[in-house]
Amino acid sequence: MNAIEIKNLKKYFGEVKAVDDISLKVKQGELFAFLGLNGAGKSTTISIICGTLKKDSGKVFVNGFDIDTDIDKIKKDIGIVFQGSALDKPLSVIENLRSRAALYGIFGKDFENRIQKINEMFELDEVLNRPYGKLSGGQKRRVDFARALIHSPKILILDEPTTGLDPQSRILVWKIVDKLRKEQGLTVFLTTHYMEEAAEADYVVILDSGKTVADGTPNFLKEKYSFDTLKVYNAVDKEVLKQRNLEFKEENGYIKIKAKNIAKAKQILIENADIFDDFEIIKGKMDDVFLNATGKVLQGGEQK
Amino acid sequence: MNDIRFLVRRNIKMFFKDKGLFFTSLITPFILLVLYATFLANVYKSSFTENLPKGFKVAESLINGLVGGQLIGSLLAVSCITVAFCSNMLMVQDKFNGAKADIRISPVKSSHLALGYFLATFACTFIICLFAMGAGLVYISFIGWYITFGDILMLILTLFIMVIFGTSLSSIINFFLSSQGQVSAVGSLVSSVYGFICGAYMPISTFGKGLQKAISFLPGTYGTSLIKQNALRGVFEEMKNTHFPTKEIEMIKDSIDCNLYFFDNKVSFAAMYAIITGFSLALLIIYILMNSLSKKNK
Repeated sequence: MNAIEIKNLKKYFGEVKAVDDISLKVKQGELFAFLGLNGAGKSTTISIICGTLKKDSGKVFVNGFDIDTDIDKIKKDIGIVFQGSALDKPLSVIENLRSRAALYGIFGKDFENRIQKINEMFELDEVLNRPYGKLSGGQKRRVDFARALIHSPKILILDEPTTGLDPQSRILVWKIVDKLRKEQGLTVFLTTHYMEEAAEADYVVILDSGKTVADGTPNFLKEKYSFDTLKVYNAVDKEVLKQRNLEFKEENGYIKIKAKNIAKAKQILIENADIFDDFEIIKGKMDDVFLNATGKVLQGGEQK
Repeated sequence: MNDIRFLVRRNIKMFFKDKGLFFTSLITPFILLVLYATFLANVYKSSFTENLPKGFKVAESLINGLVGGQLIGSLLAVSCITVAFCSNMLMVQDKFNGAKADIRISPVKSSHLALGYFLATFACTFIICLFAMGAGLVYISFIGWYITFGDILMLILTLFIMVIFGTSLSSIINFFLSSQGQVSAVGSLVSSVYGFICGAYMPISTFGKGLQKAISFLPGTYGTSLIKQNALRGVFEEMKNTHFPTKEIEMIKDSIDCNLYFFDNKVSFAAMYAIITGFSLALLIIYILMNSLSKKNK
């Protein structure tokens, strides 16, 4: 059974096709990345999965439950970390967690037991009684994860969890995600702007204007949509390269040769072993994948 | 039902811990206190004594009781509405700061969420109004006490109804708001306008005839009058006991809105309760319908 299965999902806002016939499957325990620019349809899809937005058509199943008939069961299975802070700033961390846990029927002794485990997981001791609004960015993120997991969900949705965070806090977020996946086998559904985050996923779906434009494992996508690059550092006679029909580009102190894939790069190396002494092969990047799949460039949350 | 209990607790804590919400809700009562302390009390006092029949003497404490009763009547009448509006702003704040989205991803029912806001607003407003009433009664006990235990119970009952009215009205209006700008605009409008149209800042009897007729269509006016009547019942009773002319007493009642007229017909005490209670229940039903219809159309 898939953790999430979406079939021909559509959601239009007037003329705007926010989600336009998307189909996808997220396997249990998988780190699934949803990649796209702002307005690509990522958040709309998440809102539909969570039952906070009605779809126009299509089917959505979460752990086998249909959102049309079993939304309350689905909500118990899902935890979300939003891009921005969604907790109550004037209240303390423990007050925030207590009020949210009660919405899942967790209170009294059950809450005390759960908060103990959450505390061990995220080391919240020193911040439990402090107002959420007074915490640092990293501390807030830890509390956001604690809130998302307060009811022990099976699926964790991360809606651009690192956008706007400093590098240290981003590292912290990914440490937490890795730990959760290893220790609890959580399915993680990630939406992101960051290519390097998508590259770590088990499966990636690239959205553009509400449509799926590419999907597959990062390796598959790189194979299909990007090139490997052969960098040659020793001074090579360009005339010889031209004679051998090699397409190249001269950059700062080295020559860059594009290869369709690693096999082709290896072949070029072997065939030109007599003139290549100092070289390296750079694998294709997700940035190239995104560019070639959508025709747009995405870096660090900004469209270039 | 535990989710409602925790939602109400969360909303009440948010109101009292959020300095913005809490202090904004106290602006109108504070303005009223300043107005009374600086000049309104003296204006009422001198206008009352100047209009007394020649040679008629009235105890100072009775005059003070009359002015003090008007003060707490006005104070409580505006507090029931303005505090409710500010407290209920949490409903809107939650929309634009993402808290509502965070709450709605849980399996909590929309009706429970709406009830959570309603009950918390009611509780916060009622608590503040009871404190204000307590403070007002202490003040009156120093200047001229003519209030019975029955009057206090009637005051509490009237406050209860008025707070339901304020909570229902604010719930309906805030339902349509979704941004910080709208919150500020509505908050400022209610704080500044309501005190005038309910006759808290100045008695409605001092307004022009046309405006008086227009205001007689607003149910809040009758709520203000009821609070004043309960706060001043003892004072008028004492006036009767001291052989104060009945005609004069009725004139005073007219001048400070204890008597209200709907197209020249005097509205009775019971009719005022019927109007404000009926209107409050109607607003409550509208709010429930809005929530259930909105859920269907989501």
